[in-house]
Amino acid sequence: MAQTQLVILFTSAALIIIGLYSAIFIDNIIKKIIGISFIEEGANLFIVAIGYKPGGVVPILMPGMDTSWFAANAAYPLPFGLVLTSIVIGASTLAVMLALVMVLYRRYGTLSTKVMLADTSKQEEYNE
Amino acid sequence: MKLYDQIFNVVKQFRKLFSPGPVTNADVSGSITAEIFLIVSLILSAILLRHVNVLLAGLVTLILAIVLISNIPLIPKFKIEQEDSLEKMIFYAVVTLSIIVVFLYWGGNLV
Amino acid sequence: MNELIPLMVIVPLMAGLLISAFSKFNKATKIFAFVVAICLPIIPLASNYGLHFFGGYEPIVDNVTSVMFHPAITYSFTFLQQIFIAMIGILTFLVVFIYLTKYKEISGPYLFLLFLGTAAVTAMLLTDDIFHMFVFFEILALAQVGIVAASSIDYSYEMALKYMILGSIGSPIMLLGIGFLLAMTGSVNVTDIAVAVHNGLVDITSPVFLLSLGLIFFGWLYASGLPPFHTIKSGIYSKAEPHGAALLQSFTVISMISIVLIMFRIYSTLPIFEVLIVFFSILAMILGVSLALTQTDFRRMIGFLAVGELGFIGLGIGLGTQYAITAGLFQALNEIIITALLFIGFGAIVNATNEVDTRKLGGLLAYHPKVSIMLLIGGLAMAGVPPLSGFQSKLMLVQASLSCGYPEISILAIMVSIATFVVFVKTYYSMFLKPKPTELKVENMEVPRAMIFAMGVLLIIIVVLGIFPDVVTAGISNFVGGIL
Repeated sequence: MAQTQLVILFTSAALIIIGLYSAIFIDNIIKKIIGISFIEEGANLFIVAIGYKPGGVVPILMPGMDTSWFAANAAYPLPFGLVLTSIVIGASTLAVMLALVMVLYRRYGTLSTKVMLADTSKQEEYNE
Repeated sequence: MKLYDQIFNVVKQFRKLFSPGPVTNADVSGSITAEIFLIVSLILSAILLRHVNVLLAGLVTLILAIVLISNIPLIPKFKIEQEDSLEKMIFYAVVTLSIIVVFLYWGGNLV
Repeated sequence: MNELIPLMVIVPLMAGLLISAFSKFNKATKIFAFVVAICLPIIPLASNYGLHFFGGYEPIVDNVTSVMFHPAITYSFTFLQQIFIAMIGILTFLVVFIYLTKYKEISGPYLFLLFLGTAAVTAMLLTDDIFHMFVFFEILALAQVGIVAASSIDYSYEMALKYMILGSIGSPIMLLGIGFLLAMTGSVNVTDIAVAVHNGLVDITSPVFLLSLGLIFFGWLYASGLPPFHTIKSGIYSKAEPHGAALLQSFTVISMISIVLIMFRIYSTLPIFEVLIVFFSILAMILGVSLALTQTDFRRMIGFLAVGELGFIGLGIGLGTQYAITAGLFQALNEIIITALLFIGFGAIVNATNEVDTRKLGGLLAYHPKVSIMLLIGGLAMAGVPPLSGFQSKLMLVQASLSCGYPEISILAIMVSIATFVVFVKTYYSMFLKPKPTELKVENMEVPRAMIFAMGVLLIIIVVLGIFPDVVTAGISNFVGGIL
């Protein structure tokens, strides 16, 4: 059963590496942002995998359960709570990024990162 | 005389750095200060390697000094590498991340 | 009265939400924002030191091993937190005051962002829970992006998006590091993790532990704007409104020290931790100052200077002795005040001339003598001229590195101070002393009174801290003795 956890860990590593790859090599800004959000998902998946317990039960103490049996068999609940918060934050970050992209797309008419987010220090320094 | 010509060329190259727009005295003197400051501080921080190995520190300092001084208009090259485009920023961020991770995972116990 | 401890976070957060919701009542919102802003520095000064457990879950003692566990999110409030939160409160008050007097029609969402940032850094300082710190770190990043995007300066959206994209690489990496720590210790409470590490429950030579250091460290680099993030950090300072930039740099400094103190408590047994911090601090000092020397936009120049000064803080913490860490934290406090003064002062010049290129400015001494004198004193304080506060902290840093056996670092610190001074003198000359170019129009002659008032308050703090540094350093030294 430990293989399940291993598969999850490899998936999260793959997600993070795909995210880092797309951060450098993909030019389309929307694709780049989707790729970067993979890093966040990879980290979340990793934390979920920590709480995994082979054959464990849901960590809710129902009436009539034996406390010591519950302590031995319940999955670790802390990571799930953390991931829930982290997903919410990730979603809001994504929303802000895409909102900024919308504004910039109207101004530039392109989604290319090379055009949209190029070096601007020269243009603004000496505008007449 | 050769060094003088080289320094003169440095000042010429600064013009590109500040284009478009005029180059003032204060900017040129600032850039020359930056040039000297960069060389001296990099060499000075190379001396810190003496806590690892004295011979290594001497060698690195010497090589660094020769390389830096012979490539003397450093600031224009330096500034191009640290401009505001997202590509360069992300590139350096990811490179730094991979260096930190690789260095710590395999070499973190060596220090 | 430990009930005041959570209020330090709740008051700005709630106030921000209320202001944002009721911003159509302009007058009432203005008065409310002003009152809340006055409360911000008063709450930490009135509160007693102590711990606050959210939900009232007191620590549990394990009877077998007699180790204490903290099930609740814990806020710990000591002298260090008090002084920094009070300082950030004063700064928020000044910035909100400048904003309220500058515009007739205030924007509720902008004030919300200012208060949100303050609440986030306050929580980061107070918290003893590494995941809680991460959550507020992300909220802080959102607030910073909002403050930048809200400014009317060209290319501010682009800079905000760049910051956000880099942030969405930096913060998940940090989350991954926190996940590694959680996997090894089963806890996110910093005290519990530190106890587990120091009692040998965690193998500190294992690659996983080292990797968690590397990942959290990378997140810290993003939070504090050390290389490779120095360009984006100075960029967002230059794209925010000047009073916003004054607050942004204080957010950076506070998030830097709060994360590094947490890392220090967990990883201080690893020698590589201190090497890493010193390496990146030296890099930040060299890159920040040498790039500041070549800038022609003076907002960008102060941005790079601010990044260079961050290196001093990192240096103090990287050296790792009690005296050095005290010096580093004292330098952090000074930098918050001095850089804010510079941003507000140069912002007054932008306000008066609508020009940011030093090549097109000149002769402003005749028009704005008060601002120029205050800026001069601020610049001297940043460069470390006695009897101002920057001198005291930099002297402590130089002494600390000498007594640790690194004279090279002392020389480097002095050289960086000199170069900082050169940058400042160069800009000061080309803005105030050089003959006025004929095409330059000094548009509105009056600098807003609120800006002069803010600069005066900050200047008084600089001089007082310079003459009586013991007021702060004694307490910080006690705190540092507690975590070593």
